Amino acid sequence: MTTNSMDLLIEIASPINEIVDQLGANDLPYAIPLHPNLVHFTIGLFAIGIAFDFAGAFYPLEKRLFRFLALPVTRTGFHDVGWYIVLACAVITFFTVAAGFYEMLLAVPLPGIRSVIGQNAIDTMLWHAIGGVALLLIIVAMTIWRGYQRFAWRKDLGRQVSWLYLGCGALILVIMGVHGSLGAWLASEFGVHITADQLLAAGADLNEVLP
Amino acid sequence: MPELLPPLNDKNLPWLDVIHPIVVHFVIAMALISVVFDLLGVFTKRRNLFEVSFWNLVVATVAIFVAIIFGQVEAGLANPYGASRDILNYHSTIGWSLSGVLGLLTGWRYVVRQKDPTSLPSGFLVIDAVLAALVFCQMYLGDKLVWVYGLHTVPVVEAVRSGALS
Repeated sequence: MTTNSMDLLIEIASPINEIVDQLGANDLPYAIPLHPNLVHFTIGLFAIGIAFDFAGAFYPLEKRLFRFLALPVTRTGFHDVGWYIVLACAVITFFTVAAGFYEMLLAVPLPGIRSVIGQNAIDTMLWHAIGGVALLLIIVAMTIWRGYQRFAWRKDLGRQVSWLYLGCGALILVIMGVHGSLGAWLASEFGVHITADQLLAAGADLNEVLP
Repeated sequence: MPELLPPLNDKNLPWLDVIHPIVVHFVIAMALISVVFDLLGVFTKRRNLFEVSFWNLVVATVAIFVAIIFGQVEAGLANPYGASRDILNYHSTIGWSLSGVLGLLTGWRYVVRQKDPTSLPSGFLVIDAVLAALVFCQMYLGDKLVWVYGLHTVPVVEAVRSGALS
């Protein structure tokens, strides 16, 4: 595209402007974004679900410790936690991603900023969006895999999950960490949906407008 | 205390990003899912679900102390302004109280489970409701500090450092 036609494109205003009178200073029709709150559940549940399957897998090593502590613990109990919590994660993550897309459509990142890894706002947003859908698919696939192991393939085995499942779970957690950091920077560096940051960028005095 | 920490960055933090909001994943998600699985266990009469809620309660109780440690350090570096000062005070008070509530709850649950892991006293559901309400209040206050007042975000830290905001 030539520079000329690029200049013309920049003249097209964002469609958000058409509903701007219905939005607050944070560019949302409500004060507190939903997506970051749902994220607590996606990350927390997935991490703890995998952690308890690890605990179940290493049960033979832990047995003595639990006896020493007089704590009644069963291997099935740990694997129950691993299964139900990952299942809950898969269910709630549909809502996490849906809320994320709604709030991303309304996002107005502060201009001219680069994140810690040198990305600009739209690159961060696009990677976070694609990563979010990919992680949803991965979480659902992991849950189905987990279900097959529990109810079919490893039904009669003490260790209900394969080492490969645990390895994949650990790897996904690392990816989630990077993915989550992109999302965190959209807030803490690009000021997306943060009332104070948006007001400051608009030149307001927070001592007056945000007492 | 400040001399024990690495130098502060443009978010007024001695580390890359706020850590408290990451640690609270494990308090919020685990405490609330524990309540959900207590309810599911009672209504579906599937007793193994009480094991799921018990272990999640244990994780939430361990995690809240880690969350408080990072919360206190990051609150000390937050430079709250205007009404966010009061909100931060309420958030701290409820946070410490929640650690007591969760500790008591886990202790009680441990004793109950020691006798019979397949039963749950119905009184526990009442306490569950109190726990969920406290967690929701705490989330709301913490959300306000981040999403309304932007504490530890680059533009707000900049404004505070330049003296434009106090």
